[in-house]
Order: sequence, then C-alpha cells, then structure tokens
Amino acid sequence: MAQASPSEGFSFLLNDKPIQAKAGDSIGAAMFRAGVRVFTRSFKHHRPRGLLCVAGNCPNCLMNVDGTPNVRVCTTPARPGMRVAPQNVFPSLEFDVLAASQKFDWLMPVGWYYKTFTRRPVWNAVEPFIRKAAGLGEAPPSIDRFSGEDPDYEQRYVHTEVAVLGGGPSGLTAALEASRQGSRVTLIDEQPQLGGHLRFTPSDAERRRVLAGQVEAAQGVEVLSRAQCFGLYEDGLLGVVQLPRDGGEESLIHVRAERVVVATGVIEAPLLFENNDLVGVMLSSGVERLIGLYGIVPGRRAVIVGDGPRAGRIASLLKDSGVDVAATVRPDQVLSVTGAAQADGVRTAGGKIPCDLVVVCGHLVPNAGLLHQAGGSLDWSDENGAFLPTRLPPHVEAAGQVKGSDLTAAVPSPPAYPDSKRCYACLCEDVTTSDLRTAIREGFDHIETLKRYTTVSMGPCQGRMCQISSIGVCARETGGGMGETGVTTSRPPNPSISLGALAGPRHPPVKRSPLHHEHEALGAVWMNMGQWKRPRYYAPEPDWSEQRIVEREYRAVRERVGVVDVGPLGKIEVRGRDSGKLLDKVYTHRFGSLKAGRVRYAVICDETGTILDDGTISRLADDHYFLTTTTGNLEFVVQWLEWWLVETGWDVHIADVTGGRSSINVAGPKAREVLAELTDIDLETAAFKYMACRRGEVAGAPAVLLRIGFVGEMGWEVHVPADYGVHVWRSVLAAGKEHGILPFGVETQRVLRLEKKHVIVGVDTDALSNPYEADIPWVTKLEKQDFIGKASLGTLQSAAANERLIGFTMLEDGKVPEDGSSVMLDGRPAGRVTSARYSFVNGTAVGLAWVSDELAEEGREIDVRVGGKPARARIQQAAFYDPEGRRLRM
Amino acid sequence: MRQLFRNDRMWRAHELKGAYDIVIIGAGVHGLATAYYLGRRYGVRKIALLDKGYLGYGASGRNTAILRSNYRTPEGVRFYNASLKLYEELSAELGWNLLFSQCGHLTLGHTDTAVAGLRVRAETNQLLGVDSRIIYPAEIQKLVPHIDCSDRPRYPIMAALYHPPGGIIRHDAVVWGLARACDRMGIEIHPLTEATGVRVARRRAEAVLTNRGEVAAGTVVNATAGWASTICKMAGVSMPIVTPPLQACVTEPLKPFLDAVIVSASLHVYVNQTGRGELVIGSEIDPYQSYSMKGTLPTLEQMASSALELFPQLHNIRVLRQWAGICDMTPDFAPIIGRCEELDNFHVDVGWGTYGFKAAPAAGRYLAELIATGKVPDIIAAFSPERFRRRRLVGEKAAAAVSH
Repeated sequence: MAQASPSEGFSFLLNDKPIQAKAGDSIGAAMFRAGVRVFTRSFKHHRPRGLLCVAGNCPNCLMNVDGTPNVRVCTTPARPGMRVAPQNVFPSLEFDVLAASQKFDWLMPVGWYYKTFTRRPVWNAVEPFIRKAAGLGEAPPSIDRFSGEDPDYEQRYVHTEVAVLGGGPSGLTAALEASRQGSRVTLIDEQPQLGGHLRFTPSDAERRRVLAGQVEAAQGVEVLSRAQCFGLYEDGLLGVVQLPRDGGEESLIHVRAERVVVATGVIEAPLLFENNDLVGVMLSSGVERLIGLYGIVPGRRAVIVGDGPRAGRIASLLKDSGVDVAATVRPDQVLSVTGAAQADGVRTAGGKIPCDLVVVCGHLVPNAGLLHQAGGSLDWSDENGAFLPTRLPPHVEAAGQVKGSDLTAAVPSPPAYPDSKRCYACLCEDVTTSDLRTAIREGFDHIETLKRYTTVSMGPCQGRMCQISSIGVCARETGGGMGETGVTTSRPPNPSISLGALAGPRHPPVKRSPLHHEHEALGAVWMNMGQWKRPRYYAPEPDWSEQRIVEREYRAVRERVGVVDVGPLGKIEVRGRDSGKLLDKVYTHRFGSLKAGRVRYAVICDETGTILDDGTISRLADDHYFLTTTTGNLEFVVQWLEWWLVETGWDVHIADVTGGRSSINVAGPKAREVLAELTDIDLETAAFKYMACRRGEVAGAPAVLLRIGFVGEMGWEVHVPADYGVHVWRSVLAAGKEHGILPFGVETQRVLRLEKKHVIVGVDTDALSNPYEADIPWVTKLEKQDFIGKASLGTLQSAAANERLIGFTMLEDGKVPEDGSSVMLDGRPAGRVTSARYSFVNGTAVGLAWVSDELAEEGREIDVRVGGKPARARIQQAAFYDPEGRRLRM
Repeated sequence: MRQLFRNDRMWRAHELKGAYDIVIIGAGVHGLATAYYLGRRYGVRKIALLDKGYLGYGASGRNTAILRSNYRTPEGVRFYNASLKLYEELSAELGWNLLFSQCGHLTLGHTDTAVAGLRVRAETNQLLGVDSRIIYPAEIQKLVPHIDCSDRPRYPIMAALYHPPGGIIRHDAVVWGLARACDRMGIEIHPLTEATGVRVARRRAEAVLTNRGEVAAGTVVNATAGWASTICKMAGVSMPIVTPPLQACVTEPLKPFLDAVIVSASLHVYVNQTGRGELVIGSEIDPYQSYSMKGTLPTLEQMASSALELFPQLHNIRVLRQWAGICDMTPDFAPIIGRCEELDNFHVDVGWGTYGFKAAPAAGRYLAELIATGKVPDIIAAFSPERFRRRRLVGEKAAAAVSH
C-alpha cells in the first residue's frame, strides 16, 4: 500500500518557500491553492503562463522537480519535502528580463534565423549567443557533479488477449464486455482511479462507482493504473509507461495483445483569439479538474467562452462553486482577452467584460494519435468538428469519444482567428497565427512543411494543444478544407517517456573465463575483448613498464615455456553423419576429407569472398568435429552454420560449448616436457604430429589436445570441462615451475603471433578483405563442390588485387608505428598498418599493413608514418620468426 | 536585413509540362543540389524536379543533420571534404542561413581495435589536409564536460577521433534554401508528383511516367535515396542495393550543454544537441530490409540504453519523438554516382546509405558537371556504377558502421 500522507497535509518547497499541500494534491494544485498563478515563462517570448489544462497536456506547467527538468506539475502528485523550481527564467517567474524580447519580436518574425546572418564569419560570431537562449529544461549536471548512481528502472512484460487503453466510461465498458466474452483483459489507465472524466463531474459519481466496481470485480481483468500507452507498434506490441504508486522512477511495460481497444477519449485544445495565452485563461476541463479533483475554485468572476450545453454545464458548475459568471460569450464574439500578465477582462464588440478567469470551451480533439500510428487514417468530420479514425488495422478498434461519439464542434472549422502577434496557436514554441500566415504565404503551405518551418507542434505538448489550430489556419489560408489539409504524422512515444525507463536496468554482460580468479591472483591487467575480460599481461611489480612485462612473458615462451588462457575462443561441437558436408559448404577449405585425428586452419567467407571468421577445425571422429572461432564471432558462426543447415535435411547437430570448456595453450620448447608430466598421451612428434588432435586425460581431467602453433612454438591447446579448468591450470603451472613457466597475456600473444605473421581476423582484415589479398590463398579450395563465396573467390583469384596485406620491418631504430598508422608514398596515403609491435627477436619493430598492389613487392622500401613523420621500412613477405616453421614441428 | 521583412514565396507551383531537358526524380537535397549546380554553373534551366511527397519528405528531412569529412579512404575523404567546403559557403551563396554549427565531431573508441580504426582515419585525414586527430579521455572530458570518461562504464572510453570542422546543420533549411535558389533560376519543383514508371527505348530513358502524366526527358537522374532501387528497376537497371531502415529519436529541449557531435560505433549510437536544445539520438541501421518508416520499440530502447552509457545523468530526460528513414546501402558503403552502363541518358546519384545528407553539395556539383560535360570528374570516379562489375570496391565499410 502507498504510504498515507498525513491527512492534515504536508509541505514541499517552491524555490525556498514552503507550500502546503493536502493528501491527493498534485504539485500544481497545491501551488495554485497557495496563490501561485504564474508557473512558467514561455519558450521564445518569455510570456508568463499559468495552469491551462490541468491534465498534463500543455507546456504551461513544466517545472524542475528534484532535479528532473520539464515535469508537468499539474498532474504530478505532490510529496513531502520535494523541491520544485521554475526553469528557463531569469531571474524569476514573476520578473523575467527576457520577457523584454516581446518588445523586439518584430525583429524575429517566423523563420528570422534563416534570413539573417547568412555570412559565415557573422554567423560564427553570433551563433553561440543564439544557442544560449535555446532550450527549456535545466541541463543535466556535468559528470563530475553527477552522483553516478543509476536509479532503478524496471521493465515488465505482459501478455494479454485484449488491451483496453483508457479508464473512462468507454474503456470500462469495453473491458467488461471483453471479460464477459471470456477474454483476458489488461486495462491501461492513466489515472490513479478508474473513471476518466467521471471522476471530476459530481453528477457522474455514482456511475463511476458502479462501473469501476464492476471492472474491479470482473474475471480476468488486470488494471494497470497510472499507466499510458505511448506507442502502438507492429504485431500488437504496446509500449506502456507506468508511474509507481509512491514516487520513484517510471517503468516501461511491454504489452503483447491480440486485440487492442483504444478508448483514449478527447483532449481539449485552446481556441484562437488575441492574448489567448494569458494567465487566468483556462480550458473548461481544466477548471472542472481543479474543482472536482482538488476542490479549488480558480477565480471569483468568470467569463465563459463557448456555447451550447458545454458552456451551460460549466456555468452551473462555476455558480455552484460560488463563482460569479459575468457572461457567456460565443467564441466568435471574443476580440481579445485583456490584461498585462493576468487576464482582467474579455473584450467583445459590446465592450470589455471585467473578470479574473476566462474559461474556454475548447476544441474536443480525439486523442487518436495511437490509432494513426497503428496504421489507421484520420478523416475530417465537419459534423464532429474533428479528425476521426478510420480504416483501422484488423486487431485495433476505437471506442467512445476518440471515434467521435457524442462529439460536437466547439467552433466551425476552419475557425476564424485574428492575424495577431499575440494569438498563440502553439504554446510550446510561441508560434502565433501571424507566424503561420506569414509562413504559408512564403510557400510553406503543406502542413508538414508548415510544421517544420514554424516548429508548430514540435514542442513538449507533441501537438496536443496546437495541431487542430495550425491545421485550421493552414486550411483557411490555402483555401483547402480541413480534410484536404490533413494531419501530420503521429509518432511514438506519445506521451513522452524518459530515457531511463526506455533503457531499463542496464547491465551489459561481462564474460569471465573459469580461470578468472587465478589470473587476478597472478596480477592480471585486464582488457575487454568482446564481452570477455582477458589478461592483457601479468604485472609482476606495479612499476614495470609494459615493454618490460611483455618481454619477460615473451622470453618465457620463446626460450622455455608459457601458458595462456584461451577460454574466450569460441568452441563449437559439430556431430552427425553429414557434418563434413556442412563444413565443406560453409568453410572454404576441405573438411569432409580431413582425417580423424587431424586439425586444419579454417576460414569462412561470405558470398562476396570477404573473410568473416577464422579458427581451427579438428576431426575427433568420423562424425564428430570440434571447431574454434574468434572470440567476438562465436554467436555469428553458430547462427551462420545453423542458417546454412536449414532445409538441407542433413544429420548435423551444432552445439556451442564455449562456456562448458576451459582452454589453455601451453607453448614453448619445454611444452612437451611440462605436459608429459600430466598425461599418458604420447606427445612425441612421431605419435602426435603438428596439426594433429587427440583425446585423453591431462592431470586426470578428460581433455582434447590440439597440436597447433599460433604463437610459433611447439605447443598444445588443451580443452577440458570448465570445472576442471582451475585444477589443470594449476597443475600445468606446477609442472612447469622447474622449466621456468610463465603465464602470458593477450598483448604478449599478439607480439608472438605477429612475428609469425599470423593474421587476426577483424584486426588485420576488415570488411573487404579476401583470402587472396590477405595472402592466405591456400585456404580456398575452388575445385571442391559449391561453397559459400566460391563464385566470387573464383573471380577474385584471377583478378588483379586492389591491395595486399604485407609484412614489413622498420629500418629505423626505436620507431614503432601505432596500429592504424598510414603507409605513405610521395607524401600521400598508400596504405595502413593493421598491427605493429617491437620484435624482440628482430631488434626492431615489425608489422602487417595493407598497401596498394603496385607497392606490394618483396624488399621494397616504404614510408610508414610514426608520430606524424615518415620512417623507412622494408616489405618482407616471409614470417619474421622461424619462417620455415621448424619450431612448430620439433 | 531587408530580407527579414520580405515574405516572397520560396518556390512556386507549376503545371507539369510534357518535356524537359533534364528530369530529376527525387527533390531532396541531392536532386535539388544537382539542379542548383546545373543551373548556376552550366546555365541549364529546363529542369523538372519530381518528388512523390512534400519537399523534404524523404531522407533529407529524416537524417540527423551531421556534417563531417573524417572518412577512411582517400577517395572518401577528398569527396566529403569538398562537400563540407561547399556547405561552409552555401548559406552566403543562397542568402539563406542553413544554421551550420561547426561544433566539432568526436568518434569514440572503446576497444584497442576501434582505436586503431580511428587512427587509420586520423592519419589519412591528416595526409589529405583534413583537421582530424586522436585525443584521449582528459581532452575529451574538457571538450564534453558531461560525458562519462571514467572507468565506470562497461566499455570505458579509450580515445576519440576529434574532427573540429564537423558539426550539425538545419537539414530542412538546406532543402528550402536550395529549392528557393532553383525556383529563382526558373527550375521547376513538383512536389506530390510520383514517378510511376520509366519509358525505355533505344538504350534511352525517354520519358518518366507520373501520377500527373508523362514527361519526356533528355536526361533522367535518379536521386531517390531509399527508393533508388525501385526507380532503377522501372528503368530496367539493376543496382546492388539493399534498403534497411535507420532510426533516430529526439528529446525535450534542454538548455545547451553538449557542444559537439558524439558518435560511438561500439555502442551503436550518436548524440548531438540541436540549436533548439533538443538532444538527437541516432542508432545504427536496422538489421533487416524494409521500406517501413515507422520507429520500433527495441531500437528506441537500445538508443536510450547506449546514450545513457555515455551520459548516465540524462536518465530522466524525456523522448518526444522517434522516426525512421530508409537507406540505400551498397556492398562497400560508398555511393554510386554516374551514368548507368545500361542506358545512355540515365544517371544515378544513389547508394547514399546513411551518409547522403552530408554529401549533397559535392554530389550535386560533380554530377552536374558530368551531365553538362559528359566527362566523369576525378573526384567521383571511384564511385562509378561499373565498379561492382570491375570489382573495384571502396573501403568505407570498415569505418562506417554507425558513423553516418
């Protein structure tokens, strides 16, 4: 249950002034009761503005509440201790010096900024000042002033048969009807209590009680209160934003519904006359809400603008509340509202009628944006004075006033209006009827271009207050009808929703290898690799340089033995009779004919011959392959294999086993001696050749061993079940101790592999690299049956290369290019370095680079940019270390 | 100043004539720029621009109005830099302020590999005289006090490619300014005029069929962005183009606090603050093909989530609108400009994917040169339609991703 506010009331702060509030008050209601009349200053002219709609629709009450800008205080519940402050005023609401801009508005006709400062130096000089005046809400705190705490935003998922939007009488009736037919119903209502407008019309109290009671008792009806649908997306997906019962952050609910009933009613929008924005001018429904919901009487002497039963009803409500109704005038009789900031009268042909409250019976605009979004049309109806939804998609229907029931026009359309600089069509952006007329004369006579040029309907009210008026002006000025003029596109989210609610709980995943804590204990310095955390290297002392650390690890591998955690490599088991066929189709090399017990380097290309991924494929048995992929591409490779398997009818089973394995690579001249202590498998080359695989036990754990050599030394990749990972890792380190074993990290591995010119896909290749240009032509077997990319690769094989991946050694001491540096020819870009590192064995930096085909000549000298200056390097196609690969086969 | 109080019509309505020297399908920024430069530089005036919607209905009004020239390939850098320079002078030339704010453009790198990719661009840019360099968190924080450069995010910011001449412009103003200039030269703009077919005979596109009748043309230009492949198909020309949507959203206006364009390819998001104070947040292209221009909820959620990774203090800022445009993507993420091989008078200015708006002036100017002189200008030679047959692709794909 909500915390009951003390019935005797509580207080919150407006600036530093306490405001007394009653239980159930909105912030705005409490402020109004305390005598506050000016709530905001307008966007452009800084005109004082007060409560107008009391429904959270208009921009007149946007304030800063507890640091959150642009809060609609008229509907936001008041809570003890809140801090409320005005925004976009200088220095205060009551006195805003920028209001002087009204005096200069003749200098700022619509679109003035397009017509002035067209010369570049002038514009560059004035732009910062113009920019400063922009914006409405407070800027968020800079990052050093931000607490850094992410509030809790939750998201929920609801599946239902019928979603009913709106808790007014039509929505309640629709929900009851659906429930009677046995459907599961989710009723989404903006208000804390059901009933819609019945809540604030005293004569409807009983009807509200009965209907609400029936809905609450009905079978299978779930009510989401304080919730609004902001988007009707494809496939019956509804985006719903819900406020919590007692403060806290709003949350996003994804509702999936088979059928949607939109019963969102109408929104009352202002009429056009001069000074229609003055404080004290209110919409009739706003007055009804203030009286009916909060017991606040908004004035002493009122003039009602309107006619017919609505005007009569509001007149009797006001009289019952003790307000003196000075007159009821038809909209076309109003010449203007008078008053400086606060309305003090209504001027008609018959003279001025003094008053302190002007109640406008405005346009009743069907709240049909969601229906428009969902694909329905909005057609003009003269009879109803409204755009009504038609041609709705099959799963969506409209009910009640939103589809025109009981709707009569407030004024004939298109309406008459004065060509005035003080007749506001758009309150958010201060667009006047005069602005609209000017824009239309200039050629912005399509409602969409009119909107973009004048910015009418682009502000926080999202067109609720201004759309109907701007269409009316456009229709009258162009001579087209309302229907012909049409509406602008409705876009979600409407109502608006916070970025936090949309984002929901933000927990980007972190993947950790089974050996994570071992690395931590060994002093790992971490780096991100895809979603994984991997040791970049292990720092023996905090003050060691990266170069020194890497050299220590490097020498262990080259001279003795090292071990690296390769757990993040993607690992896939492929089993079944037809596994070889699938691999032959997807990979460029032959795998159907690979002998059991052998390993082969494997590359995937797309249909254009571009390299997508690489790894190894080991055949463990006739119907059993074990694949490794690059860390970042695992999910893609699994999807790709499954995609190409679909509809083949082949007997193939694909399982991603990455998380289930712990994998290490033990490499170096002493690798055999270390592993021999832990396994019975014969590791001698005669029995276990380079590029062979075996199953057996390592340190008592069931293991798959691959003899491969990414780092260029004799070595084995050992895959064991994840649970045994720590045990095997520790056993290897213990067995290697006497040989001087060291664990090594990704950075050291990169140096080791670079000396061997082993390519890393995604680092040394990019979105256009093919195997020929990447200098690994042997991975494609064009003579085998069709495979992905075969046709393109066939063309590429004989085509002249655009550019080539080459190796280079730096000829100048101490020059190590950074990855991404340019290769230059006569001062112009002629290629790019993908990887370069200092090579300990060569005593100079070595690297890989893409260069134009003409340049890719063995022994040619090129310029590589180091620190912005060219440095000499020589192209070398052979590996920088052990080019014959003898050390791999020892 | 005098202009301030004049309310001349920006462009006039015309009857559609039976024939024009040049018919340009698509009256967005590309079509308009082509007509503008044809008129201004080559005196060609008998031009009709056809558009199925209102002026600026398509990608010209749906992009996020970012201008930059920090591309990856030399041909890309040269071309976009030419475009940026034309944009810099365009307000004065048109007598219409396009509100070009050269507030600077930052592309963030969150991984070693991404930073290396940014360095490729910085280096190529510098060699070609484009102001562009790698900066590190301390300097990023100075330029953008609100961005989270700490170690708190899952993928902390490691470096950024800083491109000071980049910035934002008012996209609709570009459409209107060019349209006004075209109208004053006597070039006709026909909104709400949809091309429904192309009549082809003797290797020529002889006429364009529209909902307002048939129009004979000496030369036809297809500048229809998202609909490029459908128009080409009408002429029997096939283009290696796929069409996915691209989405963006905008928040309520806030007092200005973000004075640079922020792009993060790793987070698939970019953020800038307009002259009116709204934050514009954009995403990468949707992972499927569609001609739908409706926003979707998952993409909206992803944009919000990524924006908050960069600016966590924006969590209570409200989104007002989301929208989508459609993008004509080529296999190498570079455009296709030139005369088609299949037809002698059919020119394309298509394949603009997610980077067409910033290219409009240069594309228009050099396409105009090609049409007027019959010679392919060097600067667009790399973007020729026949490059796909000759397998001479442009390497922008490696850099593009989200950096529209």
